[in-house]
Amino acid sequence: MAGSALRRLMAEYKQLTLNPPEGIIAGPVNEENFFEWEALIMGPENTCFEGGVFPARLAFPPDYPLNPPKMKFTCELFHPNIYPDGRVCISILHAPGDDPMGYESSAERWSPVQSVEKILLSVVSMLAEPNDESAANVDAAKTWRENRMKFEEIAAKTVRKSLGI
Amino acid sequence: MPVILLERIPLPSLRTYTSLSVVLLSCAVFYAYQCVLAFQTNPHNSDLNGAGIEHNVNIGNSKEISDILNDPDVVKEPLPSEFDIQLPYESFWWNVVYVLTSEIWCIWTVVNTAYCCLILLAKLIQKAVFGELRVVEKQHLKDKFWNFLFYKFIFIFGVMNVQTMEEVFVWVAWFSFLGFFHLLTQLSKDRFEYLSFSPTTPRLMHMKLLSLLGFILFSCMVLLCACTYIGLHAGITIFAFMAAECLILAIRCLHVLGRYVIHLYEMNVDGVWENRSIYIYYTELIFELSAISIDFGHHLHMLLWGNIFLSMASLVICMQLRFLFYEFKRRLNRHQNYRRVVKNIEARFPMATEEEIKDHNDNCAVCWERMESSRKLPCGHLFHNACLLSWLEQDTSCPTCRMSLSEGPQGDPNGNVPDETGDARPNVPHPPHPPANPQTTNHFFHFDGSRYVSWLPSFSVEVTHTQLLPHGGARLPALQTSQLDNMARQVLSVFPHMPVNLVTEDLRNTRSVDFTIENILEGRLEAPPPGTLVTRAAIGDSESEEEPENQVCIKIISGLNSVYLFIKKKMLSILTSLLDLHLHWSL
Repeated sequence: MAGSALRRLMAEYKQLTLNPPEGIIAGPVNEENFFEWEALIMGPENTCFEGGVFPARLAFPPDYPLNPPKMKFTCELFHPNIYPDGRVCISILHAPGDDPMGYESSAERWSPVQSVEKILLSVVSMLAEPNDESAANVDAAKTWRENRMKFEEIAAKTVRKSLGI
Repeated sequence: MPVILLERIPLPSLRTYTSLSVVLLSCAVFYAYQCVLAFQTNPHNSDLNGAGIEHNVNIGNSKEISDILNDPDVVKEPLPSEFDIQLPYESFWWNVVYVLTSEIWCIWTVVNTAYCCLILLAKLIQKAVFGELRVVEKQHLKDKFWNFLFYKFIFIFGVMNVQTMEEVFVWVAWFSFLGFFHLLTQLSKDRFEYLSFSPTTPRLMHMKLLSLLGFILFSCMVLLCACTYIGLHAGITIFAFMAAECLILAIRCLHVLGRYVIHLYEMNVDGVWENRSIYIYYTELIFELSAISIDFGHHLHMLLWGNIFLSMASLVICMQLRFLFYEFKRRLNRHQNYRRVVKNIEARFPMATEEEIKDHNDNCAVCWERMESSRKLPCGHLFHNACLLSWLEQDTSCPTCRMSLSEGPQGDPNGNVPDETGDARPNVPHPPHPPANPQTTNHFFHFDGSRYVSWLPSFSVEVTHTQLLPHGGARLPALQTSQLDNMARQVLSVFPHMPVNLVTEDLRNTRSVDFTIENILEGRLEAPPPGTLVTRAAIGDSESEEEPENQVCIKIISGLNSVYLFIKKKMLSILTSLLDLHLHWSL
């Protein structure tokens, strides 16, 4: 099982290094284990996360691409769609069978034609436009909705922290 | 608990243990040497003749048995002056060996040395083949070791009901070897799975692991020969018991080997290996089914032969039988689903022609590899046969455009009447009630025994009523499940003033008791003012005046399981207190 997943991950890695998308760097943590990736995501321009560099981990299942990887930010991120422990909550990362939030249509969920690049691009757009309807971090969603100033303040602090300033 | 306690006991390191064992063994050898020396210098016994030897063997044997039957804690004070064993052999060193195997404390020393050697061998193999073990591997090893110990303890004392120390010795020796190879197989399996995550594993690593697997397989054959030999003397039952264990070990080992070979071939073959997944699937199927069925037969044999229907051991074996049975059933169900998907694909999605593949001019979207042959979906997308198959096993839509491929009334080109139990969602269990009556309501009783006494079981009884007549569906939504009810109860125990329908509604969104409680605490979920109608009746009672029900099903969920866990825990504690021998498995 892991053989085809390995081949596919190697193909994706090759493609990501040949034409890397803007603002995204991703690759295996070490050559010994291709099923554990590290990604660096730049905060999208003209948003409150601009300028930040956010590290994340991706863990692939042995039957990838039939099932989605798990993604987790390893830095602190105060965002409505990121759980306090760093796990990312976007529909593209949810397996077709399960539906934790109860209202996603299957069209938005994982399918084998998705890829690491598409996942990371949708994470970037999620950073730019939080979706406060399916909040993973209720506090963040509330702040985003009711006190935008404070949210931006916190985001700026996260950006500074991610750069080590 | 005892296991945790055992882990905290400071066990000696392997180095200390080995040196202690060596010291003990040399003491024993020295003692035996002195005995034989004293015996031979004694003029009364030096004129042994042939008849004397014969005679003395008998004396020696009876002495040996009486020694073994003695309490092993009572170590006889070795005093050469009181020495009265008659030596049966002419050769000096054979006599030393004889003394070593007849004095009780010498026997224990020899056994200890044997275990020490086994542990050293394991350490050697670990160093040579595996290197540093990963945390997961260590955990698996530990689990496997305790599990094995537990079941074999049940087998020796519960099923075989051995009485004499000699029998215990033989069985323990047998299971030590068997357990040793089982652990090695487990380790190889874990390591293989880890290695298959990496494209750059050196060839030498593969060679080492493969040769270890070969060695295990060879040892299996040796053990099988040994149990055939023992079976000739001890009867067919013993043979069946021992052979089943050997076969299970051999199958596990072959399973890993098979997967390994397929993996290596796949990584080294250029281009696409079209039938790969079919080979993998059937290898898995055959090995899993055969391992489960042999294990099942083995346990059934134990239960029937042991005559132990009213004992703890039978309970444990029954639990294991139940588990194996469901495993078997689950596997067969999956295979049926697989067969159905294969048939479905072959009937409905034709192979694409050469021109279509050329026009498509793209890789397969699932595996990103070139297509030489492919199947075409009604929506026009092309995929490898194997890729499509593995995806459709778990979903029913086109991976690219999400068009539904389920055998709906519109989707069947052959005009067949779609099967009611068809593969709309192959891996999702069919709803237990006819789809015309989706409206179900539940009574849910939950008894949490552990709140009163720690070992009391907890169980849940769920009564599902299905209404025959379609009823005004506004009262309780269709998603009313027992799990939701249970969570609602938990929330209501904290906030008794909240109306139940509000709480359930929120739970349906959050899917978590914690989040709902948080919502209530932060005022996002507010109780209506006291004047409004509050339906805070017990959840199950609200439909008592409903239409007659046609189906009542009761499920007892987790009761037996917790009893089983408790028994397992108790047995383990008995086991660890009985066994004085702490194996420090610090591989």
